[in-house]
Amino acid sequence: MRSFSKAGLPFPPPSKVIRFVREGCTNRPFYHIVVAEARSDQHDPAIEQLGTHDPIPNEYNEKLTSLNFERIRYWLTQGASASRPVQELLGLAGFFPIHPRSYMTAWRNRQKATEAAAESAANVAKDANVKS
Amino acid sequence: MAALRHISRKVFTTFLKPETRPKSETCAICIRLLNYSSIEYDEKHDPAQKFFNKEVQSLLKDLTRVDLSKVNRKRKLGARRLENPEYKFMTDEELKQATEEAIQKSEELLQIPPVVSVRKPLNHVFARDPALQGLEESKMVFTDITFGIKDAERLIVVREIDGTLREAEWELKNRMNQLYFPKKGRSLKPPKMFYGEYLDNLLERKEYEFVLDRACIQFEPNDPDYQRVVSITYQHINDHDGFDYLRSTRHFGALTFFLAWHKNIDNLLLELIETSHIEEAIKLLDLFSKLQAVNYEKAEDLDKIEEYISKFSNKKAALELGFQAYKDLARQRKELEDGIKVAHGLG
Repeated sequence: MRSFSKAGLPFPPPSKVIRFVREGCTNRPFYHIVVAEARSDQHDPAIEQLGTHDPIPNEYNEKLTSLNFERIRYWLTQGASASRPVQELLGLAGFFPIHPRSYMTAWRNRQKATEAAAESAANVAKDANVKS
Repeated sequence: MAALRHISRKVFTTFLKPETRPKSETCAICIRLLNYSSIEYDEKHDPAQKFFNKEVQSLLKDLTRVDLSKVNRKRKLGARRLENPEYKFMTDEELKQATEEAIQKSEELLQIPPVVSVRKPLNHVFARDPALQGLEESKMVFTDITFGIKDAERLIVVREIDGTLREAEWELKNRMNQLYFPKKGRSLKPPKMFYGEYLDNLLERKEYEFVLDRACIQFEPNDPDYQRVVSITYQHINDHDGFDYLRSTRHFGALTFFLAWHKNIDNLLLELIETSHIEEAIKLLDLFSKLQAVNYEKAEDLDKIEEYISKFSNKKAALELGFQAYKDLARQRKELEDGIKVAHGLG
């Protein structure tokens, strides 16, 4: 059976997307990286699992990611797109160019850190003045 | 013979190394730690070429002195239960075939762990991107889990906190390989038995085979940690005459190679002479000449030993005494045999 749109033309075949699926449990996220039909539910059976991502650092302060680059390459050639978080991750892995969002987040974090540092310095100075 | 062996041992321990004789228990420990430092096979003199040479391999195998009943003995297998033996009636042909199969299996069990030089550190940097500073507070490790790549060739990269993208160092690489592609019997972190007092304790209890087997599972042969553990164990065996603990195991060849490579075969040679394994002693000297590229002037077997003792040995007195004892014993035996022959009217 072929489905038809209201205009009488066939629907384009649903596109594939490489994205995260949240596994793990409450307060302990863990992600599978899968290729799935776009518009399908996150927890629907995926076409293929392509890797894992653990967002919580381990005892050596490392976040671990595994990626099956061969299959990722294959799905990209098949016209699959990657969701933004996956694009950022692949950017950090050196597989894609670094995603602009990564630079933005980094810049914002640095900004926040400098502001926080300035504020704490000001607080210290204030305390010193009050004491003297 | 036993008395002579006792005397030569005494000479050995009292006169030759008085400074290493332990006076008390605590002293023994501190001396031990000073004595055994890690000896690695460095890259400049790669041992692999000589080790994998066919002649060297066959010499090492001969020196192992294989006893099939020891090779196929019951082992400490932890939780694994032994199966009940199965008894079969066989024709002569079947029996021959079964024996051959058993010998084949023992050969596999006796494969000597490879001796290679220690690996180079990895420090390749792919990219530096300071604009990524502040993005993450921890390192990001990316492992390529593509099917069918060897562990050693698998690409594992790290994005540092300062934005540098570099290749993972060996320690991390091994950890990731074991995490995503676990090998049976290997643990994620090396167990404590390879470090400090735990290793000392095992060596004191002469659990050499246990240490070496576990090291073979845990580490790759070019790992500095492997070479440290193994070299310390070998030195301990050499100093405490524990050669019999390793005979008929896969580690004896590697031990002999280690000793011959580092010109330290005197203890082993003395043990072989004392136990009248003169053919093995000569094979050991052949191995020494192959690895150290020295030639003996005399082709006669016993002369070779004498030449080695006078030219290359560090422990001449003990070796000469042991060799003399062997010669006396051989002479006595010959006299006895001749006597028996005469008594039987054959001489």
